[in-house]
Amino acid sequence: MFNHPRKIRSACLTTGLFLLLSSPLLHAEPLSPADLKTLLGRIREKRAAAPQMQADFQEDKSVKMLNKPIASSGKLWFQAPNKFRREAKGSSPSTTVSNGQVLWIYYPKFKSAERYELGRRSPLDAGISAITASLNLENVEATYNITATKEADGYQLQLLPRNPSMKRFIQTFGIRLNNELQVLRTDMVQPNGDRLVTTYSNENRAPIPASTFDFTPPAGTEVTTPMGR
Amino acid sequence: MRLHSLIVYLVTQRRGAVWSAVALISAASVYVLVTRMKLDSEVLNLLPSGFESVEGLKIYNRDFAQVRDLTFALVSQPEDVDKLEEFAPQFAQNLREQPWCTRVLAGVPMETPEGIRDLQSIAVPLLLNLEPGVFNETVSLLLPEKMRERLHRLHFELEAGSPRPQIELGLDPLGVIAPALKPFASNSAIEDDQPLTSPDRTMRVFITVTNQQSLGPTDCQKLMREVKAFQESAKQGWDGGPLQILVTGRAAYVAEISLSMRHDIVVTLLASITLVGGVFYIGFHRWLPLIGMGLTMLLCCLVALASAALIFGQLNGVTIGFCAILIGLGVDFAILLFGRYQQARDEGIDHPGAVSEAVRSLGNAIFFGALTTAVGFLALMLAGSQGFTQLGVLTALGIFFAGIFMMTVFFLFLPRKSSRPRNDWMFALVKKYVRWIVRRPASILWISVPALLILTAVALSPKPPIIFDVSTQSMAPKRSDAGYALKTIMEKMPSRWEPVIGIVKAANAQQLHDYWHKVAPEWNQLQVAGKIKSFSTPAALALSPARLQTNREKLQTVDFQATRETLEAAIAAEGFNRDTFDSAFVLLDQLRGVADPSVPLPDWRTQLPQDSSWWFLVDRYFAHDPLLTTGFVTTHKPVATQEQKEMLQRELPVEGVPMVLSGWSFTLTDLVPWSQRQLVLISALMALFDATLLALLYRDWRLWLIQIATLAMAVCAMIATMKLLHLPLNLLNVLAFRLVLAIGVDYGIYVLLVWQKARQLDHDVAGVVKPVILAGLTAICGFGALGIANNPTLTGLGYACAIGLFWSLVATIFFTLPAAAAAEPKSWREESLQPRVQEPENV
Repeated sequence: MFNHPRKIRSACLTTGLFLLLSSPLLHAEPLSPADLKTLLGRIREKRAAAPQMQADFQEDKSVKMLNKPIASSGKLWFQAPNKFRREAKGSSPSTTVSNGQVLWIYYPKFKSAERYELGRRSPLDAGISAITASLNLENVEATYNITATKEADGYQLQLLPRNPSMKRFIQTFGIRLNNELQVLRTDMVQPNGDRLVTTYSNENRAPIPASTFDFTPPAGTEVTTPMGR
Repeated sequence: MRLHSLIVYLVTQRRGAVWSAVALISAASVYVLVTRMKLDSEVLNLLPSGFESVEGLKIYNRDFAQVRDLTFALVSQPEDVDKLEEFAPQFAQNLREQPWCTRVLAGVPMETPEGIRDLQSIAVPLLLNLEPGVFNETVSLLLPEKMRERLHRLHFELEAGSPRPQIELGLDPLGVIAPALKPFASNSAIEDDQPLTSPDRTMRVFITVTNQQSLGPTDCQKLMREVKAFQESAKQGWDGGPLQILVTGRAAYVAEISLSMRHDIVVTLLASITLVGGVFYIGFHRWLPLIGMGLTMLLCCLVALASAALIFGQLNGVTIGFCAILIGLGVDFAILLFGRYQQARDEGIDHPGAVSEAVRSLGNAIFFGALTTAVGFLALMLAGSQGFTQLGVLTALGIFFAGIFMMTVFFLFLPRKSSRPRNDWMFALVKKYVRWIVRRPASILWISVPALLILTAVALSPKPPIIFDVSTQSMAPKRSDAGYALKTIMEKMPSRWEPVIGIVKAANAQQLHDYWHKVAPEWNQLQVAGKIKSFSTPAALALSPARLQTNREKLQTVDFQATRETLEAAIAAEGFNRDTFDSAFVLLDQLRGVADPSVPLPDWRTQLPQDSSWWFLVDRYFAHDPLLTTGFVTTHKPVATQEQKEMLQRELPVEGVPMVLSGWSFTLTDLVPWSQRQLVLISALMALFDATLLALLYRDWRLWLIQIATLAMAVCAMIATMKLLHLPLNLLNVLAFRLVLAIGVDYGIYVLLVWQKARQLDHDVAGVVKPVILAGLTAICGFGALGIANNPTLTGLGYACAIGLFWSLVATIFFTLPAAAAAEPKSWREESLQPRVQEPENV
C-alpha cells in the first residue's frame, strides 16, 4: 500500500499534520475527582489570600436577536464574594456596578441608568451569579457539576449548573485558568443559544477601594427600574 | 277525664293502639327523612344575616370562580430544595393531565413564554382602554423617528450588556404593549402578594381550577377522592427525602366537613347514649326502663328531625349537635318520671296507680321545665343565623316531643309487675344529706357561698381575661387535612394572609370602569399614607366603551404602511434578527384592523386562551357575571381588631361607588360586637324571662331570690372556670350562656316546687333531688359528648354547656337547698322532717 514514495510522503505529511493539530489534545488530561478537589482547594486558598482582582477584558457576544456578534472591551474590578464593576469602552460605553444588593448599568451616551435589585430570585440573579462564580470560584462545586482537564499551560474547567434556576440561564460554562490559577477566558452558552466569550488579561490583585463598587448616577441621569413592578 | 287519667288509660288499657300509633309515626318520620332531609355544609349559614360583610362573603363564595380553586403545596426538606425546584414542573404537568383539573398556576405567568404570548393576545383592547394622554404618548411610538430611535437605543443597551432589551423585545418589540399592560401588570404582581415559593424554598404552591359540577358535599367528596388518589401517585419521579403533598381549598373543606358531620352524628350520639345509659343504670339498677328511655328518645329525635326537615328543607351542620343535646335534656324527663314512678311502686302502688302518680305530681314541673328549655332554645332565633334558628326550633320541637313521649310512650316499656325492692344507696345518701341541710343549713352555706362568691369575683374580675377567639381557625375542623395544609402554607408564607375584599357591582361596562377608576386613586392614597399595605383592582380590565371608541378614532390618524416600512428599515439598520419582530408586525396588522370603525373590537375574554395562567388573575377580580367584581386590600397585619376594621370601614368606601366590604377575617372581626351583644343582651332577656316565670311559679320572694342568686352564681362560676381553664369563647359558644340559663333553672324548679309541697321534707325532697342529680349528670354527659365532635363549634358549645350545667347542678344542691332551708324557721324545719306516712327504708 505504501510502496510508492509519493504515497508514503503523503501519508507521513497527513500523520504529521494530524499530530500537530491534535497536540494540545494529547496534552489535555482529565483530572480525577481527587485532583479536582485539590485544584479547587488551591484556587480557594489563592482567592482567600487576595479576594480582589482587576483585569482588562475582551468580550465577544453572540445574541440570537442580532445578526452579528458584538465585541466590546474594557476593565473589570471584582471583590469577593459578589461585588464588581465593569467599564466598557468603545462605541457603546457603559458602566456596570454591583455591590451585591443593587446592580446599576449606566449609559453615559444617553445619560441614563438602569437599577436592578438583586436577591429576588429573578433570572438576573442567575446571570450575576454566573459572572461572579467565574471570578470567585468560591464554593462553586455546590452550584455546578464540575469536570476539569489539565493542559500544558493551565486548566480547563467545564461547569454544568445543578440548580434549575441556573439551568434556565446557563447551559454550559467553561473557565480556562493558567498555571497561576488566574482566569484567562470564560465561555458561557445559554439555553437559547446565546453565547458569551470573555478573555481576561493584565490581572492584578492589588487592593481595591470600597468606593469602586458604589454608584451614584450623575446629576441629570434618567433612572429606570426595568424589573420593578 | 283529667290528663293523667287519660294517659293511664292509654298506656295501660289501650297499649296496642298506642304501639300502632308509635309505629305509624316512626314510619312516617323515616319516610320524610329519607325523601326530604338534606345536610347543609355551608358554614356561612351559621353567621347572622343582616351583616353586609357576611352577605359579601356569601356573594364571593357563590359567584366567583376562585372558590373552585384547589391549592396544592409541595413541602420538602431544606436539603432537597434544588430537587424540589426540578420536580415542580413535572408535578405541575402531572396536575394538568388530571381529568378533574382545568388550569394550573405553577409560576408567575410573566416569566413563561406562554404567559407572555397570552398577554400579547389581549394587548389591543388594553391599549385602546388607556387614558387619552397615555394613549397618545404610546401611539406616538409608532412614528418613524421614534421607532428608529427606540431600536437604536435597544441595540446600544444590548451591546452594553443590559438584560432589558432582551426582555423588552421578547414581550413588546413594537413598544406599545408595555404601556398598555402597565395598569394590568401593576395589579398582577402575584409573587408579591401571593407568593408561590416560600422564602426558604422548601415549599412550592400550585393553584388549580377544578371542573367539578357543583360545590355540594357529594361533588366535593367525589373530587377529593380523585385528588387523594392523585396525591398517592404524584410522588413518582421524586428522588429526595420526605416530601409532603398538601391540598387545601373550598372543595377540600366541604368534603371534610360533610364527612366529619356524619362522624360527629354517629360518635356523639353513641357517646351520649353510652354515658347517659351508664348514669341511669348507676342510679336505678334497671335495664328495661333504660332501653325504654333510649327507644323513646330515638323516637323523639326521629320525629323532631322529620319535623325540622319538613320545616326547613335542609339542616345545617350545627344542628347535628341537636341529637346529643336532646338526649341530654329529654332524658331528664324520663329520669324524673321514672324516679317518682319507682318510688310509688316501692310504696306498694300498682302500675296504673304509679303511672298516674308520676304524671300527676311531675306533670307541672315537666311542663315548666320544658317551657323554659324550649324558650331558651327558641331564643337562638334572635341570633339571626339560619343555622342557629334551625338548632333552636329543632331543639324546642325535640323538647316538646320528649315531654309528650316520656309521659306516654315511655310507660309502655315499664314492667307491669313490680320487681323486688333493692337497697338504694344513692337515695339513702341523698336523704341523709337533705336531713342534714334541713337541720343545719348554715354549715354547708358557709362553704358553698364563699366558694361561689370567689368564682363570681374571678368571673367579674378583668384578670385573667376571658379568651375570645374570632380567628377563622376557631371554626375550622380540628382534625382536618385541608386545615393543616392551609396552616402550613400560612406558616411558610406569612405574607399570604387573607386580604379584605371590596365587591362592586355595576349596571354596565362604562359604570364598572368609572367605579373602579374612582376607587383606584383613593386606595392608592391610602397606600401612600401607610394605612394599607397594598391593593389591587380590576380597573385595568374594566374597559370603558366610550374610551375605546375615542381611541379607535385616534388610531385612524396613524399611517400604518409607513410605520411598517420604517420598522423593516430600522431592523435592518440595527442588525436585528427579523424573527424577533414577527409579533410586532402581527400587532401592527391588528391595530390597523381595529382602526376601521366597521370592524368589531375583539373581546379580551375570547382572545385570552382558556388554559392561560392569566385567568387565575382575571378570576380573582371578576365573577361569572363580568359586571360583578372585587378589589383586594392587603393590610399591614391580618385584620383582628375593631380599630383595624373600623379604619377600613371608614377609609375604603369611595363616595358614589356602592361597595360591599368583606373577607373572612374582616367579617369575623365585624361580628365580634354582635357576638358580645348575643352574650349580654339575649342572655339578659333569658334571665328576665326566667325571673318572671319563677316569680309566677313560686309566689314566694325568698325562694325566687334564692333561685335568681343560684342562676347568677352558676353562670359566674361557668365564666370563671372557662377563664381558669383557658377555654376560649368563640362566635358560637357564647350561645351556651342562654342554654345554661334555660336548662339550669329547671333543676331549681323541680327541687323548689317539691320543697313547697312536701309532706315529709327529707323523703319528698330526696325523692326529687336524686333524679335531679341523675338528670343533671345525664345532661352534662349529653353536652360533654359533643366534646369529641370534630367540628370545633360543636365542641366549644358542648364544653361550655357541660361546664355551665355542672355549676347549675352544684349550685342547686349546695346552695339552693340549704338556702331554702335557712329561709324557714327552725321549728318549721324540725316539724317537716317528721314522717306523716310510713314508708319503706329503701325509698
